Amino acid sequence: MSDPIANILEQGRLRAGALLDFGKHLIHPTVRLGVTGMSRAGKTVFITALVNGLVRGGRLPVFEALASGRVASAELAPQPDDGVPRFDYETHVRALTVERRWPESTRRISELRLAIEYQAKRGALRTLTLDIVDYPGEWLLDLPLLNKSYEDWARETLTASRQAPRAALAEAWHRHLATLDANGPQDEQAALTAAALFTDYLRACRDRRFAISMLPPGRFLMPGDLAGSPALTFAPLDVPPDGVAPARSLWAMMQRRYESYKAVLVRPFFRDHFSRLDRQIVLVDVLSTLNAGPEALRDLEGALAAILDCFNPGRRSVLSSLFKPRIDRILFAATKADHLHRSSHDRLEAILRRLTERAISRATFAGASIDVIALAAVRATREATIRQGGANLPAILGTPAAGEVMGAQVFDGNTEIAMFPGDLPEDPNVFFNDPSAFRGLASVPAPDADFRFLHLLPPALAEGEPLPHIRLDRTLEFLIGDRLS
Amino acid sequence: MNQRRPTAFAVNDPNVIVAEPDRETDLLQTRTASNAADEATLPATLPDPTMPPRRRWRWGTLFWSALGGLVTLGLGLAVTQLIDDLFTRSTALGWLGLVLAAIATLSFVAIVIREVRGLLRLSAIEELRDDAAATLASDNRDDGIAVVRALLHLTRRTPRLARARKTLNAHLDDIIDGADFVRLAERHLMGPLDREARQLVSAAAKRVSIVTAVSPRAAIDMIFVLITVLGLIRRLAYLYGGRPGALGLIRLMRLCIAHLTVTGGLAVSDGLVQQVLGHGVVAKLSSRLGEGVLNGLLTARLGLAAIETIRPLPFAALTPPKLGDLAAELTRPRDAADRAP
Repeated sequence: MSDPIANILEQGRLRAGALLDFGKHLIHPTVRLGVTGMSRAGKTVFITALVNGLVRGGRLPVFEALASGRVASAELAPQPDDGVPRFDYETHVRALTVERRWPESTRRISELRLAIEYQAKRGALRTLTLDIVDYPGEWLLDLPLLNKSYEDWARETLTASRQAPRAALAEAWHRHLATLDANGPQDEQAALTAAALFTDYLRACRDRRFAISMLPPGRFLMPGDLAGSPALTFAPLDVPPDGVAPARSLWAMMQRRYESYKAVLVRPFFRDHFSRLDRQIVLVDVLSTLNAGPEALRDLEGALAAILDCFNPGRRSVLSSLFKPRIDRILFAATKADHLHRSSHDRLEAILRRLTERAISRATFAGASIDVIALAAVRATREATIRQGGANLPAILGTPAAGEVMGAQVFDGNTEIAMFPGDLPEDPNVFFNDPSAFRGLASVPAPDADFRFLHLLPPALAEGEPLPHIRLDRTLEFLIGDRLS
Repeated sequence: MNQRRPTAFAVNDPNVIVAEPDRETDLLQTRTASNAADEATLPATLPDPTMPPRRRWRWGTLFWSALGGLVTLGLGLAVTQLIDDLFTRSTALGWLGLVLAAIATLSFVAIVIREVRGLLRLSAIEELRDDAAATLASDNRDDGIAVVRALLHLTRRTPRLARARKTLNAHLDDIIDGADFVRLAERHLMGPLDREARQLVSAAAKRVSIVTAVSPRAAIDMIFVLITVLGLIRRLAYLYGGRPGALGLIRLMRLCIAHLTVTGGLAVSDGLVQQVLGHGVVAKLSSRLGEGVLNGLLTARLGLAAIETIRPLPFAALTPPKLGDLAAELTRPRDAADRAP
């Protein structure tokens, strides 16, 4: 029906927005940095650490512009969009440094603008504006929905929910689904119940024991202000992929709501925040999926592939920046690298490289430059060596959060311990080819798991000490270093 | 697949050592294997097919060694005979001759040792540059640290780098990857030296162009150019940590000229063509002046080649000085050139 027209309108809007931006950027050079990552990947911590490093002039030796003193100042500036809340930088910094806890998970979108005053290598004094957006990672899962019909989505979701380990979690919802007739008359109560049970199932999947990532629609998990509205009251039905929904049936109702979910929530979000990025960092929490098991790892691979397909990498040209902005640099970062000894960082990078293989080859082919690193925006650990039976174990020192368990020990949240989280494989393919390559919390109790990456508290800092990090300077150099030369 | 299970220890456990991890070699069980994988991803170096294969037995070397041995024997014979003659004349003269011969031998040995050390140092610098280039490609952390340590060792006698060395030393324990380490070292240690090298080259070029313009005979300025260029190369080598003697200087000169021949094609992009054309215009005004400018430019070009030959790191984080910048300085008034960064 009106789908092609809506599509054309949408594309027109995107192009117009790009043209407008191009004009603005001629006067004020601006970098829009896309911070992409699922929930709990560490977006908020990354943004906070990045801003803190730039504003306070942290210890960033590899970031040339700052280390050589060419950056005169970096200040928070009023953001461009008046309709979006400001990123609450001050609260997050206080949480990290003073209260010694991680910032709370992001519930709504927020934005931050940073004005970096620097001296170019040739001597001219200039200002670069850096725009960063923070948003709940769950919402990112919606982007792949844009190109999917209700029937396709329903089928995929149902197929996935019938496989282990999801099947057990989806049991209640499946029982209710069996009572529904897709071709029957529309029924608000049935839709409400189905949506509630479906949401419960999604929530259960997200539990840290399973760490499943691919759980669209994201707003079911993080509804914002729209909880209970019709756009959030639908669920997959068991429908044939190429059938036509009878008028006024339950199927038609679900289909309509799915479409309005996309139109009201997903498309504006994508248009406002993802279609005009210059640089992108993809934060991936590989370690928590290793905690959970091989299923979570494979699921993460699928989710990343679907999300990264929505972006538009490529080499920048005048024409492209006029009408179709492209992302010319993408950094894939395995976050929480401080949970590993430095000797394992290369292996962590290898796993991430394997996880995002498809996106990497696509971006490289399109001419964008990419890099893969192991990153800890805030480093919560120190390194140590444990002598055990003649061999040395590369270990880390950190303070586990209260209630964390390793082996038979339960931690109280005040004691620093030395831990060895497990050996990453030399060849990452081992984890992907063999479904029983390692055991995670999804299938075995904690003492039997092959990897234990505990939830650690932020580092204890002395007054005025800069936030410690791992490779945050390399990240900055890659993402904005060339724009500051 | 996992031999080592996740474990936790109390921090005050005597087995827990909060140690500098870089000094530990046996932490990663399969260090060598992973290095091998890194090397596999590097482009393989193919032998140059135009070069004849290096033979183990070389007649030329044998000939020159044998000839050198004969000459030395002859010299020795002559000296012994001379001393014998002196002793037959008078014992005092004989002793004097013997002492002089001993001093000559001793200083000859000293000179040989110095030359050999200079050559070894030069080849160490070349090796360091190759290692650094390989590290920039492989991004291996251990290699990067090795390069930085070697560089710190090489520049330990350069007083103006004291602060840079201290800063760099403090970063050795940070988690920084290999290529970043090399770039960091280049920015800290090579930056100040590069600035000075540029000034040396530009001053030499200026001197050559002025002397050429005012010298009465072509032979005089040829000799002057030769002396200036050798002096320039020697000073650049000292600046970057080399200590070449006479042999080392000859070797460097040869490398520089080889480098110039290799990069000769790049001169087009480097602006030499415009400079030569410009020289034509200047030559219209005064042929002497034109010749002076051209000689100055050629000296500058040789100087730049010398920088790339002598510098212990390849240009990665910093940009190499361009002939265009130096040429601009050649024609700029003196005070303006002094003010330039």
